[in-house]
Amino acid sequence: MGQTQAADALALYRMMRLIRRTEEILIAEYHPANEMRCPMHFCVGQEAAPAALSLQLRPDDVIMSHYRSHGYYLAKGAPLDAMIAEFYGKATGSNGGLAGSMELAHHGFHFYSGAIVGGPLGLAVGSAFAQRYRRGGSGISVAVFGDGAMDEGVSYEALNLAALHRLPILFLCENNRYAAHTPAPARAASHDLIARAAAFGVAVRRMPDKNPLELAAAMNVIVADIREGRGPFLLEVETYRFCGHVGPESDDHLDYRPVAEVDAAKASDPLAAMLRLARAAGVADAALEEVDASCDEQVWSAIRAAKAAPFPRFQDLRGIEAANGYAPVVRELIDAAPTRFLGGQAETRLRPY
Amino acid sequence: MSKASAVELASTPRAGRATRLSFGAAVNAAQRQAMELDENVFVFGIGADGKAGIFGSTAGLKERFSARRVFDTPISEQSLTALAAGAANAGLRPVLVHQRFDFLLYSADQIANWIGPWRYISGGHATMPLTIRAIVGKGWGQGPQHSKSLHSWFAHLPGMQVVMPGSPADAKGLLLSSIFSNDPTLFIEGRSLYAMEEEVPDEPYFIRLGRALVRRPGKDVTLVAIGSLVPGGLEAAEQLAAERIEVEVVDLRTLVPLDLETVLASVGRTGRLVVADPGWRDFGAAAEVIASVCERVGPALKAAPQRVTWPHRYAPTSAPLEAGYYPTSADIVRACKSAVAGI
Repeated sequence: MGQTQAADALALYRMMRLIRRTEEILIAEYHPANEMRCPMHFCVGQEAAPAALSLQLRPDDVIMSHYRSHGYYLAKGAPLDAMIAEFYGKATGSNGGLAGSMELAHHGFHFYSGAIVGGPLGLAVGSAFAQRYRRGGSGISVAVFGDGAMDEGVSYEALNLAALHRLPILFLCENNRYAAHTPAPARAASHDLIARAAAFGVAVRRMPDKNPLELAAAMNVIVADIREGRGPFLLEVETYRFCGHVGPESDDHLDYRPVAEVDAAKASDPLAAMLRLARAAGVADAALEEVDASCDEQVWSAIRAAKAAPFPRFQDLRGIEAANGYAPVVRELIDAAPTRFLGGQAETRLRPY
Repeated sequence: MSKASAVELASTPRAGRATRLSFGAAVNAAQRQAMELDENVFVFGIGADGKAGIFGSTAGLKERFSARRVFDTPISEQSLTALAAGAANAGLRPVLVHQRFDFLLYSADQIANWIGPWRYISGGHATMPLTIRAIVGKGWGQGPQHSKSLHSWFAHLPGMQVVMPGSPADAKGLLLSSIFSNDPTLFIEGRSLYAMEEEVPDEPYFIRLGRALVRRPGKDVTLVAIGSLVPGGLEAAEQLAAERIEVEVVDLRTLVPLDLETVLASVGRTGRLVVADPGWRDFGAAAEVIASVCERVGPALKAAPQRVTWPHRYAPTSAPLEAGYYPTSADIVRACKSAVAGI
């Protein structure tokens, strides 16, 4: 048990540290170099949930994520090099340079994201439907979204459909209290997000992210239940965004959140907590230092590779822009009329109801 | 192209039996055969499993394939579309049915922001093989919220295919091709066509998306007819033949991909163009066809192109107004005569 705890702690610290350093280094590289030319939503401060999730996922699981997605991309095991190349708009990017940060995806790793708020909930219902439709598998789908997505109508449709069909889906709601710059009190009279989900028959739980080990342990039980067919689950993780909503700069000069609130959140940094927990679990300092060095090296190596990679060219996109053909069952396509239609028939007349 | 058209003109019933089916029954047969051919095909939508079976178009499918593959839904068009998208990305071939096109607008976000760009922004790695069936109401006071045909909206989106069959046998072959196409397809069915009948081959067959069909040869004027205006176009051509005006009727079959080659070849023969489009006039499909032809062969045209469309206003419910709202074969006859007269 102690060994498992230490291994989990090290894995959690490794993922959180990798996400944090990825974001910090990208933030530092963003300006004034201006080589990553796409809007980016960094997740500094919000690393615990993706890291905890990373311990639960298998290759056949699917993540449909919001746009603050870098941590979840890495949590799904997708390659850092392809992500950073994507930000640089390079052909070696996970989307061939066509998506940038906001619609970052890696099809091979079943990771997808997008900028239209609430979209991932519906799409995850679809992938979970497919996982259940194809009997025999135990894959699950994870919808990742923020509290802002709980303002969108499609989210409630998705919760309802997931419960109705008892789909294998984890709704992972990161509540960082702000939809971009709009605080929760400006958006709703009632703030009990899990009560809303529970009303649809979805199992729910709310947890802080200050103890990533506890978060991972809870997710482990939740995900096992989902895999066993016990239906959808909404986990609300109370978290906080240390960085600005979008871009590398802080946006706290806009005064949309209290300075004391920001300071308090940073003072209880989940990554610092994780470091303490790892030490307490018996992880050796040398192992932690190795993680730190390795994370930085991975990020810098990915940045070097991205800078050296070629840009995509319009002529290479033709195959992507054209229609993509048919399933193998279509062995022959006909151009002629199947029979001779001469018209001359009365239109369908609708009748009284 | 003219040679190919000559071949297409011949009635080519395929080997094997054919049965006289209504448009609605042909749509039903296409889904039934698609589900028999591929376990990945499933059909869903409001009322899809009901006795009425969405004007008969899905009747009996649940009994044949079980509720796992044919199911009713809540009135949640946006998430149903997302369900189709997520499932299609995972390799299934969903068929989502809207009894009325108008309700599809709730899913405009899914189509424009997710489904349309999906394969493109994935760098070509992902696919989105889904079909959305949308039925356009007409008559008995369907009014502004039960009779719209917004095919031009969705044809405007890169990445979406838009299919508009004009006959029962085309409905079957085009729907089978839509379901087994690897790209997202909006399949638009005119309710006014539903009871029309045609000999429909029994076996499954696949009509190429993006290839228009010359349904009737003619040397005087090209009539590009779309979807539910195909029968009216054929009727108009028949009438005009009695007046020695030979109309070449080109059934567009699909707006996207747009088969401009077949249209241009026909216009090259006739020098005149009329487009019959079952939708609003301004910024519509007819405008796109005419603009595309004019860009390429404008100076060679013998007369200004004409379009026959719905007037640019909402469908009225009052019976006499409604009767006057929709264009008929008489309107197509008039437009063709104008084109031939060079007016």
